[in-house]
Amino acid sequence: ETTLILGEAGPNRGARANALSWFTEQATDLSGGDLQFDIQWGGALFKAGAALNGIADGVADLGTVISVYFPQEMVAYGIADLPLQNDDAWVGMKATDELMRTNASIQANLADMNLVYIGTFTTSAVHIGCKGGAIRSVADIEGKKVRGVGAYGDTFKDLGANMVPMSVYDAYQGLDSGLLDCSQGYSYATAALKQHEVIDSYTLLNWGQVGALGILMNKDMFDSLSEANQTALLTAGEGMADELGRLITADNDRAIETMKAAGVEIITLPDADRETLVKGGQPYVDTWVERANAVGLDGAAMLDDYAALLAKYAKERDEQGYPWTR
Amino acid sequence: MLSRIERLLVDLSICAVLGLGFVITLNVVLRALFNSGLPDSTVIVAELMVAAVVLPLAATTAQRAHIAVEFVANRLPRRVSDGLIVFGSVFGLFALSPLIWAGAREAIGAIEKGSFFFGELMLPKWPGRVIFLVGMAVCWLRLLSMVVTDIATLRRGEPLSQPTGGH
Amino acid sequence: MDGTLVGLVAFAALIGLLAIRVPIAFALAGVAAVGTFVMFAFRTGAFNPDRAWRPTSSLVFSNSFDLIHSYDLSMIPLFVALGHIAYKAEITTKIYHAARVWLASVPGGVAMASVFGCGGFSAITGSSIACASTMGRICSPEMLRMGYDKRLATASVAAGGTLGSLIPPSVLFIIYGIFTETSISSLFLAGIIPGLISLLGFILVIWLWVKRDPAAAPAYPGTITGRERLEAALQAWPAVLLFVIIVGGIYGGIFTATEAAAVCVSAALLIGFAQRMLSVRDVIDALRETVVQTTSIFVIAAGAKIFVAFVALTGVAGDIVGAVQAAELNVVLLMLAIAAIYLILGMFLDPIGIMVLTLPLLVPLVEGYGLDLIWFGVVVIKLLEIGLITPPVGLNVFVIGSVVGKDVPIDRIFSGILRFLSIDILVLVLLMAFPILSLLIPNSM
Ligand code: NA
Ligand code: NA
Repeated sequence: ETTLILGEAGPNRGARANALSWFTEQATDLSGGDLQFDIQWGGALFKAGAALNGIADGVADLGTVISVYFPQEMVAYGIADLPLQNDDAWVGMKATDELMRTNASIQANLADMNLVYIGTFTTSAVHIGCKGGAIRSVADIEGKKVRGVGAYGDTFKDLGANMVPMSVYDAYQGLDSGLLDCSQGYSYATAALKQHEVIDSYTLLNWGQVGALGILMNKDMFDSLSEANQTALLTAGEGMADELGRLITADNDRAIETMKAAGVEIITLPDADRETLVKGGQPYVDTWVERANAVGLDGAAMLDDYAALLAKYAKERDEQGYPWTR
Repeated sequence: MLSRIERLLVDLSICAVLGLGFVITLNVVLRALFNSGLPDSTVIVAELMVAAVVLPLAATTAQRAHIAVEFVANRLPRRVSDGLIVFGSVFGLFALSPLIWAGAREAIGAIEKGSFFFGELMLPKWPGRVIFLVGMAVCWLRLLSMVVTDIATLRRGEPLSQPTGGH
Repeated sequence: MDGTLVGLVAFAALIGLLAIRVPIAFALAGVAAVGTFVMFAFRTGAFNPDRAWRPTSSLVFSNSFDLIHSYDLSMIPLFVALGHIAYKAEITTKIYHAARVWLASVPGGVAMASVFGCGGFSAITGSSIACASTMGRICSPEMLRMGYDKRLATASVAAGGTLGSLIPPSVLFIIYGIFTETSISSLFLAGIIPGLISLLGFILVIWLWVKRDPAAAPAYPGTITGRERLEAALQAWPAVLLFVIIVGGIYGGIFTATEAAAVCVSAALLIGFAQRMLSVRDVIDALRETVVQTTSIFVIAAGAKIFVAFVALTGVAGDIVGAVQAAELNVVLLMLAIAAIYLILGMFLDPIGIMVLTLPLLVPLVEGYGLDLIWFGVVVIKLLEIGLITPPVGLNVFVIGSVVGKDVPIDRIFSGILRFLSIDILVLVLLMAFPILSLLIPNSM
């Protein structure tokens, strides 16, 4: 029996925590009880910004890595954070997972850092809640004081928004006091942080997501496991996309209902405006391609592969529905 | 020599506090008056925090301003209590060693990998880590020199100057 | 190697080192490093030091570096600097003179005003340490100058600082809310009455203290005319202006609490230079004190952070909670056991670290008993706040200690703290016995 230490920066509640717990239970089952887990929640061992070295150095044997903290080291994984049009949590995770699992140069790149890819998460689609004037079109973005998320925030800045540095946990107070007009976020998180109490409208951007986060493992530890246990971990990791997809889709639907019940107007951004956003995000995609090329990856080819994978899983969803509804 | 370096580091730390205060204030003013802001201000402030907090470490040590629980030690004879001060410094040498080793690994790693922070300016990660290493290393040297001079003082049978941080 | 055993030995070693005057930061970091090394070296059963170096160094580095490398915590050096600059510019002296003149007939009135000031400041920042750092620099030296008893002048502010996390906004409530999926706004509302009860409790302690020992708070010498009162009040305008800037800015949506600290430093500098009360020399001196003080606070917080990571690795918290769970206690005994766990951990570790270590394990247990998580949150935060002023590692006490320097030894502050602790325990019992005190406001919203 081997007990693996798993480091997670987030709390032991919510969809991601449930998916993580599901992963460990699956891995334990698949290994016939041989693999046990000691999960350290809330960044008890290391915060999100130290996860990469923490795992590579063996502080934890495996753990959650959020790529945005490591734009250089995790440049390949960062493809899942790009403001491409890809707002479906399950499709995004399946495509990202397959790319990470099958691309040889990504695997080699990780191995250089003493890491092995196990499975992926997503935060789901980026939307925006506003107090006062709502965002009904791209033109409404100009002049708004906004708390942003990654390249989605950068694109908003380019479109005339005034970005306010603030953690997502302070956004409630910021919206309440008027320091913020709008806060970008994910539906389940918006509801969990009770932002529906302080926003008047919630605009579904249906644009993209922050999906470059998942479980990586210390390669020395991975290599020291039996082949059966390695397979157990990889299989459980691959299953996470389906499980988190189910959890997060349900959570997001529930969150929208909560917001509606609180009197928040739910707005869907018109398609033409969304195209403006996607186009506005293009410079950040181009920058990413350059950075990927700089570390010896073929950025443009990866982007094509990724687009093909997104199309493949979107098609599967359209034809067969989500796995949990089949 | 060491005390001149310490003074320089404290001065740099003062500049860091002024700098982060300036960056944050400027950001507020730009937002309130011009509907704009400084790029990557949170990263800049966090990096300046490292300078503000870590660089004065050696000076703090030299002033014996580290906080300690002293009510037991104060009830002991002077010689014993002085001996404990030296032991505290020796323990500090020991406690800082892993931080210095790890700090060096991190600083070198950040430079070699070209690590940077996500943001408009793509600011590199190495400056904060190098500052951390410098602050820790100079503090270690200060502790070492204090151990040497304190032991010499004790051998001459003289009392040590008392700490200011605790009691 | 049994993690719980390593954990307990480490706690014993820590107590031993602290007792023989090893600087607290070094003791925490050193013991944690050795303990971490032992845990990793024995990972596979046999002693294998080669595999322990890398994870140990990684753990000690990241936990100390990430604590310091923080935008949010820049509030602390800034508020400390504000205190020092306001002192040099005599902004604090004037507001204290006004308080003293106006409260001349109230024994211990200035200490009470300080605690009220802490309460007011709590409504601005979410952090107890920030609260103690600022108010400590502003209040304690002024009270000492007025001839207040050293213990009263320091302990009242150290205790008053603990209001920072009970009265909203509060970083600790936010973290608790995330870990328990409870409403952060409900938690904030739930903290108001307990915060005010704690505040009144501290006022009561000061009143009793000065009643028993009038010399602890010297009365204003001579009589005061109405004109003197008016002049004192008018001269206090810079402090009032700073307060208006902070409150107006935060609640008016102009800046965050972290930004408020920077804006206030800038404003204090402007006022000081405009009034010709400040020279460049003064500012540099103020900042020199600021950085040394900030460093001595942060190194302890960083040491505590490393220690938390080591304790997490040992699993000792899980074993203790497991033992409590297995004992199948009744509700009263359960809460007493939980209180004991928090008070003991609070002697050594920082509030956020304790929450991260305990909440994932405790919350399901508490839920299983059908207890209200909002009420439990208030009890937990109160327990963590008490930990900030209990020896041997009491961060708020160290903050005040670093402000007053060698004038007041740390153990004198702790001895003054004992009186405030007794009322804190009383308040804690009240909060545990009467959940309505916490739930009244959130349930009526
Ligand atoms: Na507060
Ligand atoms: Na304590």
